[in-house]
Amino acid sequence: MAFLTKGSVAALIAAAAGALCLLLESSLPWLVKFPAAWVLPATDWAGAAMEWLLALIKPTARGFSALMFYPMEAANYVLSNTPWPLVICATAALAWILGGVRMALMALVGLGFVLASGYWPESMNTLALVAVSVPLALIIGGGIGILANEYPRVRKPVQALLDIMQTVPTFAYLTPLLVLFGFGPVVGLIASAIYAAPPMARNVLLGLERVEPEIKEAAIMAGGTRLQQLFQCEIPSAGQQIMVGVNQCLMAALSMVIIAAVIGGFDDIGWEVLLTMRKAQFGQSLLAGLVIVIFAILIDRMSGTLTQDRREKHDPRIAWGILAVGAAASAVFWGHIQQPGAYALFNPVADSVDRGLSAFTTANADVLTAFKNNVLFYVLLPLRIGLDQAVLPFTWGFSWTPMMSLGLFATGAAAGAVFALRGQLALGVMLLIAAGMLETGISQLPWPFVLIGAGALAWVAGGRGLAIMTVALLATILVSGLWERALLSLYLSGAAVFACTVMGGAIGLVSAVSPAVWRVVHPICDMLQTIPLFVFLIPVLMVFQIGEFSAFLAIIAYAIVPMIRYTRHGLVSTPEEMIEAATASGATKWQMLKDIRAPYAAPSILLGLNQTILYAFAMLVIAALIGTTGLGQSIYLALGQADVGLGISAGAAMAILALIADRMVQGFAEERRKALGL
Amino acid sequence: MRANGARLSTPPLSEPRPVSGSETPAITCQNVWQVFGNDADSALKEVLANHPSPDDAAGELRSKGLIPAVQNASFQVQEGELFVIMGLSGSGKSTLIRCISHLLHATGGEIRIDGENIVEASAKRLIELRRKKLGMVFQHFGLFPHMTVAENVAYPLRVQGVKKKQRQAKAEEVINLVGLRGRENHYPRELSGGQRQRVGIARSLVADCSVWFLDEPFSALDPLIRRQLQDEFLEIQAKLKTTIVFITHDINEALKLADRIAIMRDGRIVQIGTPADIVLRPVDDYVREFSKDVAKGRHARVASVMETGAGLAYGADDPGLRQDMTLDAALARCMELYEPVPVRSPEGNVVGVVNPADLAAALQVEQG
Repeated sequence: MAFLTKGSVAALIAAAAGALCLLLESSLPWLVKFPAAWVLPATDWAGAAMEWLLALIKPTARGFSALMFYPMEAANYVLSNTPWPLVICATAALAWILGGVRMALMALVGLGFVLASGYWPESMNTLALVAVSVPLALIIGGGIGILANEYPRVRKPVQALLDIMQTVPTFAYLTPLLVLFGFGPVVGLIASAIYAAPPMARNVLLGLERVEPEIKEAAIMAGGTRLQQLFQCEIPSAGQQIMVGVNQCLMAALSMVIIAAVIGGFDDIGWEVLLTMRKAQFGQSLLAGLVIVIFAILIDRMSGTLTQDRREKHDPRIAWGILAVGAAASAVFWGHIQQPGAYALFNPVADSVDRGLSAFTTANADVLTAFKNNVLFYVLLPLRIGLDQAVLPFTWGFSWTPMMSLGLFATGAAAGAVFALRGQLALGVMLLIAAGMLETGISQLPWPFVLIGAGALAWVAGGRGLAIMTVALLATILVSGLWERALLSLYLSGAAVFACTVMGGAIGLVSAVSPAVWRVVHPICDMLQTIPLFVFLIPVLMVFQIGEFSAFLAIIAYAIVPMIRYTRHGLVSTPEEMIEAATASGATKWQMLKDIRAPYAAPSILLGLNQTILYAFAMLVIAALIGTTGLGQSIYLALGQADVGLGISAGAAMAILALIADRMVQGFAEERRKALGL
Repeated sequence: MRANGARLSTPPLSEPRPVSGSETPAITCQNVWQVFGNDADSALKEVLANHPSPDDAAGELRSKGLIPAVQNASFQVQEGELFVIMGLSGSGKSTLIRCISHLLHATGGEIRIDGENIVEASAKRLIELRRKKLGMVFQHFGLFPHMTVAENVAYPLRVQGVKKKQRQAKAEEVINLVGLRGRENHYPRELSGGQRQRVGIARSLVADCSVWFLDEPFSALDPLIRRQLQDEFLEIQAKLKTTIVFITHDINEALKLADRIAIMRDGRIVQIGTPADIVLRPVDDYVREFSKDVAKGRHARVASVMETGAGLAYGADDPGLRQDMTLDAALARCMELYEPVPVRSPEGNVVGVVNPADLAAALQVEQG
């Protein structure tokens, strides 16, 4: 074994486990399908435990809920009763202070569009929720960040908690909140505060940790008390990082408020999207989605200016002027101002979009269906249930025979042998494993193989500790009876991540090579990252209707961005001296890319992959709204039935999958970074 | 303190600064230890109980996986004295100054400032001490990025609750002292490195400290600015006459500024002495290595090389040497006794003459 690398050993172990499972499949059926008798009623236990816990804190929660009712009502009242000219001008004035003419114009045009769309009242309802949840999240997150900074002992547990809070899918904690707070907007409020607090806490902690030690020492030597040091020196010094936290907090809150619309009970813009989507009024739903996007962009860009290093000063007198114009307009035209909801200038457009869309889908039905079916039948389905079941005369024109299986394995083995002989044993064995997985299908992989294979991979990525954690966590999913659903989730997100990696990597590569391409791709990436998750569903639904394929596309659209960004960033950020050294050695552009930039970019690309995986999991749950199977669906169902146990366990299973994927990829990235001495 | 035992009978390079009559030294460090690692306190106690020799104790601590960054440091700094701690990076000098200013809590030993043991001072007392007595300048300036020059400088007064007008007036005074008049409303990022350190110096002076810590204040600056600031620093010191602990890794800076120098290596103080001691009587090869590049002629006095005693013979020439002359100056005087001598081309033809006194003068570095 001494001459085998760690990777080869792991690959061989996994291959052996897989082969053993395949051989024993017929005689020992429990190897493939985990026997139901072995499943522990963990879901029920979790449910019972949660219900007990929830009952315990319910009175407090209801009290809090009643308390939050007042600020929410107040925000709602103010926002919905302030004349719209004043709201628009106040926003524009604020935008002027933050970012000058461009920002102010953006605010005017954006809010003008919202007004004209007729979704003004709904938007104000959404904004009212954000306006209350954000301060809550800022206080909670800031407090946690400061405390973690002050007491180093709690730093690790806090960071672990933040990790979990951000990996648990958003829908999952809506269910217990629903039970706690009852139906109503307060659930959305609390959920968005919970969801938005971690980025704030993280950035506050990061900012405080990164304050130069000498600045901290200077504050001590000046004779400040601890509170003086903290609030007069350290927090202001960390200001930029904290503002990054504020920006992320705002975006997360908005995103969550819109997601929380699925529980209904509040006439906000997210609800409007959902409603129109259900009624298949895609033109309207697209319009409402656009309104959300406008808010997201405005909030992001306006708060984004706070994170800039050196901000230009903009004359506050102009801001006052804009505000005065708004007030004057409101006063003068008081009697003439229509109810803001009455403007529905875009309805004809929306209707024509609807008509155009149906015309388009009917006209191109053949192409669209062919595209959809090709991907489904030739890519997704074989991945899901394996070639042996997916290949049918009905779709492929022939049926899968044992001879073909043999041929597949032989091809895999031959290709693997070629690599093994070239000294890349691990790669060769992995090819063989891939052939086996293609034959079986991800959702029907024998569970011992998954445990052992994942464990082996984790061992290579992060050593024994990670391997044990991986196996133990996967085993909990196994015994809790969520295994099949977990594999379904794994299959869909895996397929999406794979597609993102290939396409995103390619786009990132081209963007790195050609600045002209990046100039086009860059704003699109910015846009995609600003749009709340929810909105991604609208366009795919418009064209491809409900189903797994639409979900697949929505996940790709959302999760591809980090892959593009990190690939490009890794490739272009090679240190100048290395480029010069390569140029001096006479490397061509492609040699430079292949031999110098790509290896240097590897850790960065792996981090992109990591983000893509997390994004894919996050979207998977949202995509359950338009039809996916697996854990996402369970979480969504649990929400509908207020089934806390199912919601919690399915959410936990989802978080476990995300956590394991995260740690493994981080492990590989870390290994690459060390190898490069970074 | 073996270096002090070997102290020369010669006066130090610079005029000894007037030291006030009070008996207590401004700073006393007695067997100060700073150990990093888990349970450093108890480990140090245990090791010291078993190993009387500090070197053995340090070795024992290292073998336990702890880092003895400062080992058994003892010295005194008199009021008004400019005491320089010199050593390479990692020698423990920055750790030591942080022990004395109590940015780090010394693991063992006693540190007295004006007789008061600050190792045992309460948090409240420390704040009071820092407000009234201690000032510190940092290598990378440690300026608050969100405050203007004036706000940075006035900050030590702000934490004390001094009224805005009053602290602005006081800040202006020290800003003028360091030559930054007119830049009060700039932010640190708008200043050059030299200007930033002037702000750092002004801030440390604003509260009228009596003990002034400077942690490699000029190391981050380029050589020309460094020399300029050193000179201005000496001027300020001549005006204020505070007690100073100054950290540097630059032997020339140490020799230029110091009344006395402590040389540190691997956490130990290996020699304490006047600049002339360090240059002419290094205790070991390590210190000798430092002074190798130093122009000894500028720092040593005639007295340090002359023979004394009864019945010493000397020639007829008397160039007028005095015992406190630098070697450079003495050499120049001696050279004046020579006639001009010829200078030849490679072929052996006389191409010019040179006056030996001019040779000696050319070697001398102009003193700023």
